[in-house]
Amino acid sequence: MGSSVHKLIVTVGFLSLFHSAFSAAQHRSYLRITAQEFTTLPLDIVVQAVVSLFAVMWGVLNVAGNLREIPAAAELNTVKWETQRNLPSFYIFNHRGKALADNYIPSGSKCELENVE
Amino acid sequence: MSVAKVTKDNNKSEPVAYSDAALRNNAVVVEYCRTSMAALSGSTAGVLGLTGLYGFAFYVFAVVSLWVMFMVKTGPNWNKYYVSRQSLLTNGFFGALFTYVLFWTFIYGMVHVY
Repeated sequence: MGSSVHKLIVTVGFLSLFHSAFSAAQHRSYLRITAQEFTTLPLDIVVQAVVSLFAVMWGVLNVAGNLREIPAAAELNTVKWETQRNLPSFYIFNHRGKALADNYIPSGSKCELENVE
Repeated sequence: MSVAKVTKDNNKSEPVAYSDAALRNNAVVVEYCRTSMAALSGSTAGVLGLTGLYGFAFYVFAVVSLWVMFMVKTGPNWNKYYVSRQSLLTNGFFGALFTYVLFWTFIYGMVHVY
């Protein structure tokens, strides 16, 4: 959302910069027609050009992307203990402790094997 | 994420580890902004019709204002994002100057000569 605002700033600033360029060119041709000497541009064109330069620079600075924190610990600190502790190789699905439950029914196959012996 | 660079802090004398990927990401962002700044400020200098040393003074002004904008963006704890402020100001000064002069002369010719 913030990025779209800055894109708008960049676009408007570019248009304003182009407009000030056209104004400057027109001022030059006006001076040429009236045979006057060029000293400086009118103040409004100068202000418009400089202000739009700053606007585009600020917009580009924010459009370019986010800066990331450079200390290595900055990203390691966000890793949770549960994430580090999660080892799929050590998952236990069949624990013998479940034989202590009231509703435990021993599986038939193992008992039959013992009876046969 | 890999830890590539370990430098010594002067006053603490404790090594600080920097994330390589984050450093490279920040360098890319800074380079992008610097190139855009050189092109844009060159165009503005051409529009304003600056000549001679005034143009180069305007370039220095633009570089410093971009640096100030970086500082404003990161706020007081700039240490988290850049290794040093001085190198942020001076890195690639002459490389971007060529881009600046290119756009300056081009826009000056378009606006003031023709």
